Amino acid sequence: MRNPWAQTGNYRTSYEQDTTIFANYREIVSVGLLLVALCILPMFLERSQVLVLNFILIYAIAVLGLNITTGYAGLISVGQAAFMGVGAYTVALSAPHLPFWLTIPLGGLTAAILGFIVGIPSLRVKHLYLALATLAFQEIFVWVVGRSPALAQGAAIPVEMRNFLGLEIGFRNHNYFWYYIILFVLVLMVIAWRNLLRGKYGRALIAVRDNDRAADAMGMDPGRTKLFAFALGALYGGVAGGLLAYMQRAVVVEEFTLGRSVALLAMAIVGGLGTVVGSLLGPAFIEFLRLYMERLSEWMKSNAFIQSITPAGVDVASALLPLSFGLVIVLFLIFEPRGLYNWWRLLRSYFRTWPFRY
Amino acid sequence: MQLTVEKVTLSFGGVKALSEVSLEVAKGELVSVIGPNGAGKTSLLNCISGFYHPSSGRIAFEGHDLTHASPHQVTQYGIARAFQNIELFTGMSVLENLLMARHTFGRYNLLDNLLIYGRAMRVGVENRRFCEEIIDFMELEPYRKTLVGNLPYGVRKRVEVARALALSPKLLLLDEPMAGMTLEEKEDMVRFILDIRAERGTTIILIEHDLGVVMDISDRVYVLDFGQVIASGLPEEVSRNPRVQEAYVGVDHAA
Repeated sequence: MRNPWAQTGNYRTSYEQDTTIFANYREIVSVGLLLVALCILPMFLERSQVLVLNFILIYAIAVLGLNITTGYAGLISVGQAAFMGVGAYTVALSAPHLPFWLTIPLGGLTAAILGFIVGIPSLRVKHLYLALATLAFQEIFVWVVGRSPALAQGAAIPVEMRNFLGLEIGFRNHNYFWYYIILFVLVLMVIAWRNLLRGKYGRALIAVRDNDRAADAMGMDPGRTKLFAFALGALYGGVAGGLLAYMQRAVVVEEFTLGRSVALLAMAIVGGLGTVVGSLLGPAFIEFLRLYMERLSEWMKSNAFIQSITPAGVDVASALLPLSFGLVIVLFLIFEPRGLYNWWRLLRSYFRTWPFRY
Repeated sequence: MQLTVEKVTLSFGGVKALSEVSLEVAKGELVSVIGPNGAGKTSLLNCISGFYHPSSGRIAFEGHDLTHASPHQVTQYGIARAFQNIELFTGMSVLENLLMARHTFGRYNLLDNLLIYGRAMRVGVENRRFCEEIIDFMELEPYRKTLVGNLPYGVRKRVEVARALALSPKLLLLDEPMAGMTLEEKEDMVRFILDIRAERGTTIILIEHDLGVVMDISDRVYVLDFGQVIASGLPEEVSRNPRVQEAYVGVDHAA
């Protein structure tokens, strides 16, 4: 009997074993430990720190969706923030009437239906032209929200939830409460995401990306598969948007503009396209980058020496954030197109055989 | 007749790739289509498999009208195709390529796929077993987990045929499965084709340039030239036909 903890090779003896997600017990235990760590983490953090964590996890859900549309199916989408917006506004409108465990799936479904419609151009156009179609949707979304009286013309719509099953949710525990909800949803979404690839629905996505002529000859309808990819990606976006609406207690259109869509795409690329680990590392990296760049620019504004050497009228500090952002994307595309996931992989294989080299 | 192609005409602008091509294939037959380059052989196959739609004429397979069917519909009727310019999923292993072909076999819904997975797992295992049989049959065991992009040309051709076989076809369209192969690889491929027919009773339409192979293994032969059927019949008849000889070796104008 082989040692189920060991990881020295592939000794699988049945087809069932060959489709498992985890190679051995060690992986199951490490994922379990990670989950436990994530569950107790907020106890050591302040409210504002939990807020950062919440943002990262919400973006992780949206990036998972983007990884379906762009990572698997290869359809470049620069409209993921708009899908988040669709989810968020659905939640904002339905929250007074329905409990949150209904409004969030509803937000996801609404986004999925819109994703289906936005995906229709993908039946005809490919690559950059398709990206432009999603860009158009992104802009139309912001335009429509900005002119719609029912959506407060883009100004804040409050989303209130004061208690849940008798638990009072107030100023102190709001972030903590939503942290656990978001974590639960994320775990569910990751399981679904990971299962997708093992079955025929996910494989069809990859087939269409790799060679849509051959996919057609395999009995897959490439058109339907592309629409499915858009709808499912949008569903993830919608769910993320719904969570964001509750977490921020309000919906504002500024959260769902083109800049955010590009940021989500950047998170997917920096993390590593088409990977779960990348979908978590990417948002974390970009969010921390944003946080520290904001601190740095605060410091630069208050530092007399730096103020004295920068030309008058040039606001270097404010330019720091977009500059670092663009630089990171370019550097990753040049030096590590496989993203942070690849570093994670190398690190893991290093420790697996430690102290030996191989 | 299992497959009937009736007076199919295919034109691209002013160019007639096929003009009034008719062809009939009975169940279990091995029919070859030969002809010089540009004669319209692959266009004919593209019409049957739904990639092109003829401008006039009719194609029927076991009672299904294929004239305006899309490739995935044609596949679901039981017609599989191996492409001439290998169209495999290069980023995937041989096994994954074959599993792709099992897409329409075994039904489960999206929810099974995403969350519950029990039923999807059973179907997956069943499909895997089937693909392993094909792998054994086509002698691809050593390459099971190799990425197709890393395989040599001859093996890739074999994977292309294996993937078509994984669709459990009633009619198999082979577009130059032996092009560019060494003699030994050709012999292997011919053996596979004969085995497919003997063991599975699959009807086969073969496009091939190697006339020796064609004359050896075909039940009947169709000869295309400039989009027209210039001869058809048993291999011996066809090879004696003066129009075929003209198309292949040219006519002696001095005579």
